[in-house]
Amino acid sequence: MRRLALLLLILVDAGCVSGAWPYGFVEHDGLPPQGVPSAGESLAIVVNRANAVNNLSTAELRRIFLGARGHWPSGRRITIVMMEPGQPERAAVLRQICQMSENEFSNHFLHGLFTGEVLVSPKILATPLGVRKFVFNVPGAIGYLRISDVDSSVKIVSIDERFPNEKTYPLHVTPPSVK
Amino acid sequence: MNRQTKFVAGKADGHRPGVVAGWGALSRYSSALWLFLVLCVVIVAGIVVIHDVRSTGVEAQKMYAGSVLGLRRIGDLQYAAQETRRSTFYALSTKDSNLQVKYADQSREADHLVIEGVSAYLSEAKTPVEMEVGKRLQHDWSAYLSVRDEVLASILEGSTKEAVDLDLKDGVPLFDRVREDLETIERLYDDQAFQRLANVAASSRRTMIRLVGVLGTTLIFAIVSVWAIQRSRMQSAIQLAKLQMEFVASVSHELRTPLTVISSAADNIADGLVEGKEEIKNYGSAIRSQSQQMTELVNEILLFAATKDRKNAYVLRPLKVPDLLDAVLVRTSELVKRAGFTLDVQIDAELPCIVGDMSALSQCLQNLLINAIKYSGSSRWIGVRAFVSDSEVHTGKRVCIAVQDRGIGIQRSELPHIFEPFYRSAAVTAEQIHGTGLGLSLSKTLAEAMGGELSVVSELGVGSIFTLHVQITEELKLSIASAASGANQ
Repeated sequence: MRRLALLLLILVDAGCVSGAWPYGFVEHDGLPPQGVPSAGESLAIVVNRANAVNNLSTAELRRIFLGARGHWPSGRRITIVMMEPGQPERAAVLRQICQMSENEFSNHFLHGLFTGEVLVSPKILATPLGVRKFVFNVPGAIGYLRISDVDSSVKIVSIDERFPNEKTYPLHVTPPSVK
Repeated sequence: MNRQTKFVAGKADGHRPGVVAGWGALSRYSSALWLFLVLCVVIVAGIVVIHDVRSTGVEAQKMYAGSVLGLRRIGDLQYAAQETRRSTFYALSTKDSNLQVKYADQSREADHLVIEGVSAYLSEAKTPVEMEVGKRLQHDWSAYLSVRDEVLASILEGSTKEAVDLDLKDGVPLFDRVREDLETIERLYDDQAFQRLANVAASSRRTMIRLVGVLGTTLIFAIVSVWAIQRSRMQSAIQLAKLQMEFVASVSHELRTPLTVISSAADNIADGLVEGKEEIKNYGSAIRSQSQQMTELVNEILLFAATKDRKNAYVLRPLKVPDLLDAVLVRTSELVKRAGFTLDVQIDAELPCIVGDMSALSQCLQNLLINAIKYSGSSRWIGVRAFVSDSEVHTGKRVCIAVQDRGIGIQRSELPHIFEPFYRSAAVTAEQIHGTGLGLSLSKTLAEAMGGELSVVSELGVGSIFTLHVQITEELKLSIASAASGANQ
């Protein structure tokens, strides 16, 4: 009986650590488990204020950022705004939306432009301020910004009806210490 | 008495002699009066010139604030508009999105300056034309900015050809309209500046003319003033010297006559030509009479000199008019009797007491009586009357003592001068009536020292009435009381 109880305890503990058990402890050894929202800052998807789109699904977002979708419902051309490689925001988008590495993302666009599947490559901006101003100036632009970098000059779109201030918001910037 | 002329010593009564007397008084204060007038003219001129200079200054400030600054603002607006367009096209020169965003920022900063400038222009616009042009510029600039935004978006998206096509199609014509609007505003400012410059020039010219005119007038006025003052002084000096010469001659003559009599009498007695007690008695009487005449003359001169300095030395006290007249008549009775005159003295009953110095008033009336004797001609009648009168000139009642003769009278033109010291009329001198010209002047001074005055009514060939006006005791009390209450307040 004692052996059975010990076995059950070990199984429960293992489930909590692996994330299979949703009601268990979310932290272990101070690090967030893989596959769940990190404790980093939320990353907002921003568009021009004139853009009528208010919500995008994760799948639509992935298609847009990979150049598979070229125009907004209004007919205006979509311009993707990315930050320079190496930036945590860019890494978060590649990992959590595009589900690609940096090389895979580059190769995807090289291939797409060569074959004509992708018409315009992403615009690369060095700073969050540059991203914000670009989105402000271009009605069809879409980019991403840490929630602390967002101001009233751009509009945040929800992802799967969830906004960055909500707990289940899927897009976060991974802290530098988290690998 | 139609041709009679009344004259109050030292006062103008509206008749010609009064006017002449007024000028006489004016000439005494001419220096101060002329200087005061010159000062007034200079002050007025200064105020006018200061006003003109200030007007010119204000007009110049308006020109600067309204037109020069306006032109400068329009220049800035034109530059900012060009900068908006220029920065937009700088973005075409690079593929770097970071630089493109920077140029977009510059373009937007410049367009904000234009918007603010246009708003400022509209807030200061006054005329309907300015308002219309300002609103048109605002509308055209807004239209251009909407195209500029599209062009910028196309450039940032990387659609260079689309950006250029859009700008050529819509941007260029709209920007041309903005440029024309700015040029129209510039022309308006130019016109205003020219108008205000013309106003400033006209104002300066007007100021200069006024300044020259006023300075010239002031200079002429000053020269005339100095000339008039010098002339007045010179005439006064000449007149005084003439009067003094006449006085010396007159006094010499008056002294020489009794001296000659005394000298002759003395010679006759010394030479033994006079015999008998009766004859010696006659000579002694003549010598005494002439000595007395000389003494009186010297006394009169000394008294005149003394009255100039003893203004406050009189003892003012209540006097009864009959007592005063008695004293005067006693002192002159010998003279009147010797000259064979009849005195007609009328003193109103219940006359109030007067205020004055007994000695001074006696002297004053004595002079009037002696003059009446001197200038009565063939008439041997002198009237003396004392009465109360309600003066038109002074408030309250006064006692008047009038001495009337039926003698030669005084010419109208001479009335203003008879109270001047040493003055003797040509007619009197011609008739060899002896005198020093001090009697009336002395009487006038004494009357005024008593708070009264001396007036004369005369008609040539008919006679003269000299009237002494003296304050009564009650009136003096009232005037003292009113003066005291005024001082207390």
